[in-house]
Parts: sequence; C-alpha cells; structure tokens
Amino acid sequence: MPTKEELQQRLDQISELFASLVTHADHQSLYRCPYKNRLDQCTAQFGCRNKRKPRAHGELPICAGDDKLDYRPAWE
Amino acid sequence: MAEIADITHEFIRQEIEEFIERPEERQRTINTFAKARPEMQAIAAALIEGENDIVDQLTRQALDSGIEALEVMDYGLIAGMGIVGIKFRQNFIFVPEVLACARAMKAGMAHIEPILSAAGVEPIGTVIMGTVKGDLHDIGKNLCIMMLRGSGFVVHDLGVDTSPDKFIEAVEETKAPLLGMSALLTTTMPNMGKTIEAFIDADLRDEVKIMVGGAPVTQDFADDMGADGYGKDALACVALAKNLLGVVARS
Repeated sequence: MPTKEELQQRLDQISELFASLVTHADHQSLYRCPYKNRLDQCTAQFGCRNKRKPRAHGELPICAGDDKLDYRPAWE
Repeated sequence: MAEIADITHEFIRQEIEEFIERPEERQRTINTFAKARPEMQAIAAALIEGENDIVDQLTRQALDSGIEALEVMDYGLIAGMGIVGIKFRQNFIFVPEVLACARAMKAGMAHIEPILSAAGVEPIGTVIMGTVKGDLHDIGKNLCIMMLRGSGFVVHDLGVDTSPDKFIEAVEETKAPLLGMSALLTTTMPNMGKTIEAFIDADLRDEVKIMVGGAPVTQDFADDMGADGYGKDALACVALAKNLLGVVARS
C-alpha cells in the first residue's frame, strides 16, 4: 500500500504538469484559435465565420483561420 | 543507459522518435518507458491518443492484476501525460487534443481515487462548473476544469448554456460548496448576475461560494454582480478555489 506522501508527490507532479499545459494554452491562444485541432478542424459548438465545409461526411468542419489575424471577431 | 529498442510498444517508440527532439528529454523518456512493463506502455499510449475508454479499462485491469497504483501513475498515466506535454509545447498538438488526453487521464485516475482515499489523501473540495445560459464557448471553462481536477478537486461539469436552475439543482444535489461560472460574450455576462440572483431567491446564496471568469469579465464586474471571486485564467481559478475553501496548502 503506497503511503500518503508517495501518492501526494504524484498528485503534485500531475498538478505541475497541468499547470505547464494551461500556461502554454494561454500563450498559444494569443495567435491560434483554441478550438482548432491539429488537423485544422474546428471543434467549437458555436458558429464561426472561419468554419468551412468538412473534408468528408461526418468529419468536423475545417477552420479557415490563418493564425495571423485575431480569430476572435469571427466567433458568433 | 536504455535504448529506444528496449521499449516494447511500437506506438510509444514512434512518438518518442517523431516528437521528442531535446536529447536529455528524449533519453529521460526512453529510460522511463524502457523500465515500464507492456501494460503500462499500453496505458500511456491510449492516454496520448486521448482514448478515455481504453485508459479506463486498462487501468482497471492493471490494478486488478495487482500492479501498484504508484507504478500505474509513474509509468502509465504520468509518463503518458509527459509526452502529451512535450508534443503540446512543441506545437505538434493543440488545446482540443490536450483536453482529450486530460479526460483520458481522468478516466484512469478515477480508479486510483479509492486508493488515494484509503491512504488519507482526500479531494480538496467539490466544484460545480458551467458556462452561463446562452454561451457556448467552453475552452476556458474546460482548461479550468482540467487544472482543478489536476489539483485535487472533484469537478461536476455542467457544460455550456447552463441555466440558473441547472446550477441550483447541481449545488443542491452535490452539496458542493463552490461554483464556477464562465462567459465569453459581453451579451451573456449578465447571466452570471442573474444566476447569482437565482441563488439568493432560492435562499441558497450562503451555501455556496461563487467564482466567475471569462475573457470580458473583470474583478469590478465580479464585485458588482456579487460574486465571491474572479479568476483571470485557469491557474488563478485554482488559487481562487483554494482560497474560497480556506485551503492553505495541500499536504
């Protein structure tokens, strides 16, 4: 049975890992829409003028944002 | 020193070769996975793919077969999340993928929770989280939830477009002492105030601390509508949640 201290140490490690993830997410979202996935698809549940027809039936819409301009005014 | 060929899981080998560029980080990751048994490598691989059902199943199986919780965390869940962090930092994956991996991590951690509890590690507290009525923007809320869970809170996620009644119901059901609301639109921000008023009308305002956040929200706005606190981002949200629950340090 692991001790409280051993388990706590792992939880602290997870917390640190997640803290670095959210810090990077904040930084990255200054130039890239956070709803845009690695396949340049839009995962947002709301309308956005940058959304384009999916590549194939059943897929997510394509994001046409170019990551150069502020993407937020396109959100509806 | 371990070599990449010492890792049995092909997907993990590929992930390391393709995405981990810094030599020290690469060697550290190889050393970790070379020591990990195949079951742990499979958990890490499923987590990296964001497959929460598979992480759930494999973690359960591993613990049932007698593998220690510490080993599952060190060589499965945390090791997998380590690769996710590197891929994210290097912009190989983005926020939606990270959130999927975090959900997979949560699925695995659900099986560790009874072990934590038995060892005397209790959750810091329970939080209800939701995006207010009329608002469908949920990334900020989801990052807060990821961070809260990662910091030891139990979170009930009400999703987007959450009516005041739904918030009230959730607080009554779970007896959560803390509620977080987010809004991204200036048009939906007033619904935070309306939700707080609904808690007053239901005679529940004293039962729950309310924190708010979202791009257009400010400390002044939070104060004006009667919230107990405002968090500007996910890290601030966790600090605020701890503060509101009177948590000084977790030990």
